[in-house]
Amino acid sequence: MKIIVAIKQVPERDAQIRIDTAGKWIEESGLQYALNESDAYALEEALQLKEKHGGEVVVLTAGPERVGPTIREALAKGADRAIHIDCADLGSRDALGVARLLAAALKPEAPDLVLTGLQSDDLGQGQTGVILAELLGLPHSSLILHVDKTDSGLTVKRELEEGWFQNIDLPTPAVLTIQSGGNKLRYATLMGIKRAKTKEVRTVPASELAVDSTLVAVLERVSLPQKQKSTQILPGNPKEAAAALVEKLKFEARVL
Amino acid sequence: MLLLNATLSEPQHFSLVEKLLLVLFVAASAAGFWLRFRVVLDKILKSKKDANFHLFPIGKRIWDFIWEVALQAKVIRQRPLPGLAHALVFWGFCAFVLVTTNHFAVGLGLGFLNPAGVFGRFYTYFAAVFALGCAVGIFGLFVRRFLVRPRWFGKKLSWESGFIAFLIFLLMVTYLASFFVADADPAARVLWWVHTLALLTFLPIIPHTKHLHLVLSPFTVFFSRGGFSQIPALVGDEDFGLIAGTDLTRLVSLQAYSCVECGRCTEHCPAANTGKLLNPKEIILGLRGYLNDLGPASEEPLLGKYNPQEAPFQCTTCGSCEFQCPVGIEHLPILVGLRRGAVNTGAWEDEYGSKLFLALERGANAHGIAASERDKFVEKAGLPIFDGTQEYCLWLGCMGGYDPKGREIITDFARIMRYLGTSFGVLRKEKCCGDPVRRLGNDLVFQQLAESNLEAFEQSKVKKVVSICPHCVRTLQEDWKEFGTPPPVEHHSEFLARFAGKLPSRSAVQSSEGAGGFNPRNTADGHAGPLAPASPETIVYHDPCYLGRYRNVYDEPRTVIQLSGQLVEAPRSHARSFCCGAGGGLVFLGEETGERVSKVRAAELVATGATTIGTACPFCNSMFRDALAEIGDSAPQLLDIAQLTARALPKNDVG
Amino acid sequence: MSGIYVVIEERDGRASRISWEAVAAGQKLATLAGQTVNAIVLGAQTEAIAAEVAAKAFAKVVRIEHPLLAAYTADGFTLALQQFIESDKPDYVVFPHTYQVRDYAPKLAARLGQVLIGDVTGFGDGPVFTRQLMQGRLNGSYRPTGNGPCFVSVQAGAFRADETQPGAAAISTFTPTIEPAQIRTKPSERFRGAAQTVDLGSAQLIVGVGRGIKDAANIPIAQDLATALGAELGASRPICDNGWLPMERQIGSSGQTISPKLYIAVGISGAIQHLVGIKGSQCVVAINKDADAPIFEAADYGIVGDLMEVVPALTEAVKAAQ
Repeated sequence: MKIIVAIKQVPERDAQIRIDTAGKWIEESGLQYALNESDAYALEEALQLKEKHGGEVVVLTAGPERVGPTIREALAKGADRAIHIDCADLGSRDALGVARLLAAALKPEAPDLVLTGLQSDDLGQGQTGVILAELLGLPHSSLILHVDKTDSGLTVKRELEEGWFQNIDLPTPAVLTIQSGGNKLRYATLMGIKRAKTKEVRTVPASELAVDSTLVAVLERVSLPQKQKSTQILPGNPKEAAAALVEKLKFEARVL
Repeated sequence: MLLLNATLSEPQHFSLVEKLLLVLFVAASAAGFWLRFRVVLDKILKSKKDANFHLFPIGKRIWDFIWEVALQAKVIRQRPLPGLAHALVFWGFCAFVLVTTNHFAVGLGLGFLNPAGVFGRFYTYFAAVFALGCAVGIFGLFVRRFLVRPRWFGKKLSWESGFIAFLIFLLMVTYLASFFVADADPAARVLWWVHTLALLTFLPIIPHTKHLHLVLSPFTVFFSRGGFSQIPALVGDEDFGLIAGTDLTRLVSLQAYSCVECGRCTEHCPAANTGKLLNPKEIILGLRGYLNDLGPASEEPLLGKYNPQEAPFQCTTCGSCEFQCPVGIEHLPILVGLRRGAVNTGAWEDEYGSKLFLALERGANAHGIAASERDKFVEKAGLPIFDGTQEYCLWLGCMGGYDPKGREIITDFARIMRYLGTSFGVLRKEKCCGDPVRRLGNDLVFQQLAESNLEAFEQSKVKKVVSICPHCVRTLQEDWKEFGTPPPVEHHSEFLARFAGKLPSRSAVQSSEGAGGFNPRNTADGHAGPLAPASPETIVYHDPCYLGRYRNVYDEPRTVIQLSGQLVEAPRSHARSFCCGAGGGLVFLGEETGERVSKVRAAELVATGATTIGTACPFCNSMFRDALAEIGDSAPQLLDIAQLTARALPKNDVG
Repeated sequence: MSGIYVVIEERDGRASRISWEAVAAGQKLATLAGQTVNAIVLGAQTEAIAAEVAAKAFAKVVRIEHPLLAAYTADGFTLALQQFIESDKPDYVVFPHTYQVRDYAPKLAARLGQVLIGDVTGFGDGPVFTRQLMQGRLNGSYRPTGNGPCFVSVQAGAFRADETQPGAAAISTFTPTIEPAQIRTKPSERFRGAAQTVDLGSAQLIVGVGRGIKDAANIPIAQDLATALGAELGASRPICDNGWLPMERQIGSSGQTISPKLYIAVGISGAIQHLVGIKGSQCVVAINKDADAPIFEAADYGIVGDLMEVVPALTEAVKAAQ
């Protein structure tokens, strides 16, 4: 199976958030970056499929030069080669524009399966994989926890709300967006990193991919939420505090 | 009277046949020795060269040789009575060199030591004293092995040991008996031949048994790696640790063949003592078995048949094994090497281990907690940020930065430093020092952490570091050397001990609330007065592995404890201290099988009857906290030395 | 000005609660944009649900019906909505942000040359839509700039379902053209995860019990709260060490790591091993009688009090709110 895994390098999960001078994004200097969490699960699923059925796992990513270490990490974990779309202005493209870039780089590879993470830790749109499927004209399914290869294609386990699951059959080639937690992730090893040194990383400048990058939605500005992160101690007698808590959980935290 | 007049008998005339037989037997014996010894030597020399081995400086090597081999200091100190018995046997052997040489010379008619002459008489008497000592020693050891049967010798009785003990005994007895017969007596000849044959039987047996240590252990002690728990750097792109025979180095092979199976390593191993698979002796013997069966060129995995993969991962790296070993085997580099082989290749699949590695791959600390939590604590506790002007960089570590108890220790230590007027600051960002991944054998993550942290130190212009955690101290000071030059690092006990004169001591105060304030017996300039003999607060001090055995710091924490109360020693203390169970990265792995190491040690500390357990390591503190929770409200107090000391500080200290 | 269409999602034959939240959002958007608001229901048999929806203030309710829409598929729903949108040309299409919508709405938007502005928490003049970035630590304002319908999905809880206006809408039907070969995915019946094993790792609601419970006999108090919430019961280490709850329920660095929407820590002080196990929780509530307990540092909400009184009161409050 030839599997392409689209990965994204995102700011570290607990990075300090400061708004940049233009007010349109966060200050990037001093940030540490890492592989997007659900993409790590997508990569793991791909590697497990390769271990079971043979084939090739190719990682695809768009971004500036700093995505190098993330690509190497993916290669160290077992991907066979990588395609790097060199793009310095990823943040100023919308989800459709990014998916167009990826689709243009992907098409000539003619993969059997395309995996992406469910959503990115920074923008959290959760759309790239679904749009990719549309652009490539391929069937897709999202929120996937497990992929099995069958004679007629794939059977995948999809997560539904409130503890329900569903199996879906679909033919290959197909696109799947992978949910976190479906597998145990493997750690990068010294051996993996050393071997990664000899694996191919093909760099494609974004300009070479000739895609329509007209924006259909613009991120005009960013701001910090007013909600404070400190603990809210609810006062009053047990009955009052309990009632106040339920109110908060329902409408403020929105977890009930 | 008889003794002083007796001389060692030497049969005067050996027939040609006898001489030829002697030569034949000597040749056969030597051949028998060499046949097997050659194989062992070959295996050792064919092993990979140790890339980090440096013969110089040679002074320490010579000293260790004199102290541990010649004077048998380690052998005696760690197990006094049997150790002394062994020392007598060893010294007997040494004393016998001239005697034995002369013995064979006599057989060829070339005896050079005249037992009746001044020197000869002196020397043979001298040797006789040792022979007596040796005979008593070997007899005692025989009784110990076959009648007393200490459990760390294992269940199987070693008949070869018995036989060799018999031979040694025979050698000594025949020598001593030779004083009581005349030269011409046929008995003298019988004794001479029995002695000769005993020796010639002994010789070829040596390389086939653990008695190989007679030949090898002086070299093993001399060729040590040069420090306690010296984990060698990996060499080149294909070195991932100890995976197969081809990874075994000469030092490892030499050490594997030197094992005397005494079991001292196992006796003190926390894992072996709590029913785990890990048995340090078996690890070494497993390597020896591997070398015997497959040799140093084999690609077969070291873990699997000869030692289960699980075993090395039960090691807390407490170091008791390496510390105890009388023949100079260095267990820790071997255990870490075996772990490296499994981890650096991804062969080790452990849920908790993977979680730890992934957390450190991505983020800053071993708990996987957001780094912003440390920032919140630093701000809340009002800890100054290190800006290059302060004297000390206070290293929080993963426990000091994120663990509620660790944070209390930091806060108290910061109070003390302020009280003393020492300038300090904490780094804006800290990454885990890398201790757990270093000990678990993940060199990729360790290198990333060490390099990143060293760069941060350089950028921040850190000159001196003080830390509350012995693991951090060790890793910063020693393990980071592989990737750069760390600044001097000290443990807070070393710092506090230096200022003990300036710190107030507490008198008979039991609880932290209410008292505060100076010991009224303090002298005017703030020096601690002598402690009241009837002080009810007794504090049992637990020596952390990484402060005691690893750094040789035993007195400083005790000095600090004695400012707060009456010091009580645990049955196993100082270099003999029993691990709390957290080390080697184990605190980040899942629940232990069998009995919990922390429970065993906590029980030992509680049994001293002390009102307080004093710790100097936040991990020890954490482990005992859980263990004591099971005891409930009657458990002793558990406090770090910083907390103990801070109690006596005036309440209105500068903020 | 062809209006705002709210796509209603069905749950057990009725409009789901979050759909009503989308309706409330749609109605607010209609007021802001000066447009009419309509509803869409999709399926093979939509008569009943259309009637339910029509009792609210919509200009019209459109029933998009086709046998191949009986079970949800991305292909089916996308095709159906695409055809409808191409015919009626709405200005805005508003969805509830559900797993199902995330599966097809981006596809639908892309097919029409647009993008979905998803998981919106509010909107203002423009309109400009607000959504959360960096896992809720940053807000972003998005302005649609394409020529074509603006697709928006609304976060659960961002708008209140009880704020929908009642009314009486006209109902119309739209029949899309869908061939069986165009439906490429074959979904099966939904199922639950294995019920017998305790899997705290995937539980969405958890109540944790610590030493503050004092006695095994008091654990039912926490269990009642868990039952009322539909939550799993977990425990800190000492409880499991004592055998009051099985080891599989231990939450902590050497036990289970949890990442629920809501974790309620009852009588737990907050040692690091436990904190490590719960750090993935979206919302942490702590109930402890010690105001200085470290658990409060890790909690979003806290009640300082005797759990023997607070927990039963909370159980009652939870039941009342359901």
